[in-house]
Amino acid sequence: MPIPESEKPIIKGVIQKEKVIVDGVEVDGTWNAFLIERTQTGYDPSVWDEIANTLEGVTISACWQCGTCTSGCTMREYDDNFSPRRFIDLARKGDKQALAELQDSLWRCVSCQKCTHRCPKGVLVEEVVHAIHNYALKHGLVKKDPGTIFDELFLETVMKNGGRITELSLASAAAKAGMVTFSLRDLLTMAGPILKSGIYKDLLKPAKIKNWDKIKQVLEEAMKEEVVPE
Amino acid sequence: MSNNPYGKVAFYPGCALDGLGKSYEVSFSLIAKDLGLEYERLNDYNCCGALEVKNVNTMAGLLLPARNLSLARQVNANTIMSACPGCHYSLSRAQYYMVKYPKVREKVNAYLEKMGEKPYDLSLLTIHAVEFIYNTVGPEGLKAKVKRPLKGLKVAPYYGCLYNRPKPYTLTGYLRIKDDPERPHFMDELLEAIGAEVVPFEAKTMCCGGPHVYSDNEVSLHLEARILREARKNGAELLITDCPLGHVAIETNMNKIAEKYGEDLRMGVVYFTQLIAFALGHSPEEVMLTANLTNPMSVLKRYL
Repeated sequence: MPIPESEKPIIKGVIQKEKVIVDGVEVDGTWNAFLIERTQTGYDPSVWDEIANTLEGVTISACWQCGTCTSGCTMREYDDNFSPRRFIDLARKGDKQALAELQDSLWRCVSCQKCTHRCPKGVLVEEVVHAIHNYALKHGLVKKDPGTIFDELFLETVMKNGGRITELSLASAAAKAGMVTFSLRDLLTMAGPILKSGIYKDLLKPAKIKNWDKIKQVLEEAMKEEVVPE
Repeated sequence: MSNNPYGKVAFYPGCALDGLGKSYEVSFSLIAKDLGLEYERLNDYNCCGALEVKNVNTMAGLLLPARNLSLARQVNANTIMSACPGCHYSLSRAQYYMVKYPKVREKVNAYLEKMGEKPYDLSLLTIHAVEFIYNTVGPEGLKAKVKRPLKGLKVAPYYGCLYNRPKPYTLTGYLRIKDDPERPHFMDELLEAIGAEVVPFEAKTMCCGGPHVYSDNEVSLHLEARILREARKNGAELLITDCPLGHVAIETNMNKIAEKYGEDLRMGVVYFTQLIAFALGHSPEEVMLTANLTNPMSVLKRYL
């Protein structure tokens, strides 16, 4: 007997065989229809452990999946796949496959902090989302994204420019990486006031920190240190 | 300072105020002089790491701001004040992690000592310039000093994301001297004190896409357009900011926004300190209103 039309959506993925023999008895009709295996396997419980052992990700365990973070999320409005609640769920289950599929969304948090601010359980959601993304990057689940490239440029600029950044150094680094373009009109709009007010002097020559060379050395050493939440 | 809940205040300028945000600091120091606000500027500061460094390296994300906290303690400050909400956030974040995790604190302090700085003793209160003015001079004290009341000027105060978020770091909602965690009003009251009319503005703490202004430009433009549209819809003539990140992002993107979302969104963007200093009688040149890319003087010239 064929499956009634109205029931089809409920039992998606049915396997119906021509001829099925169970314990020596041939069965037919609805008795030879089987549901495909729906138990998801391959979960990796180490994902949760590893994220919970980072300073940023430690609060992941407190989440009770209410969705307060996602309901107010800035990025959610632009990207249906951007859901901090779901990211946390997937990371805790250890569903690497699903996280990898989210590669165009995972990085897009704009750090507006609404989620962390409002979480009723004290999960530092913005930090946890970055911890999950960092996990995915570290384990090669996702490709390097423009956000991360910019973050790295930022740190590089701080280290190269004597401990401080200027908009000019940052914008030129971003332009070099092909992230931003300024039209002639933009440049002209900016150039006038910047030249007139004398700000260009500060932009071209950021002041240096007195002891920078030593501080830089310590920073470079410190950056090799692994930080755990304790 | 007649009323000072903060003790000695150290001023952390941050990179933005030494760059395109120079007009912010210039106008802030003018106000401070006029109103008798006392603070010590940390001249040897380093970048706080903003919202970027922490994503690349955990230790650098703590150590950069922690050095500034240590500098503030070395001048015996009780409070560290930033004019940039990004810096305010970053310093508060380092403080949060250092308070919460003793071993992390030990490590950070050990590196601070290697740099030749003092270990940080966790005793600072982190505040933003808006709170500083509001809780010391206050709107009443400010009102008494106004020489050029901006009567009839309709403004939309844009606080940005990080002025009062997230509360575990900034302590909004936990302390009485902190602003409302969801609907801030300190800047509103300061602007009303100088005679301006604050329009209803639901985008006060809406995100401008800041950290992704280069890497996710389309979204930033859309978010910024929404902030401007909300201000325009409610009749604002100027957008008043307290965040150099948002200020610079909106100003530099203004041409693109106007092209894409309509010329009517073109609007003057002014730091709140610039507007206050202007109302206290300083000339547009002194306040560096001429350095703003969006030409706010076209609106403000009627008060000259």
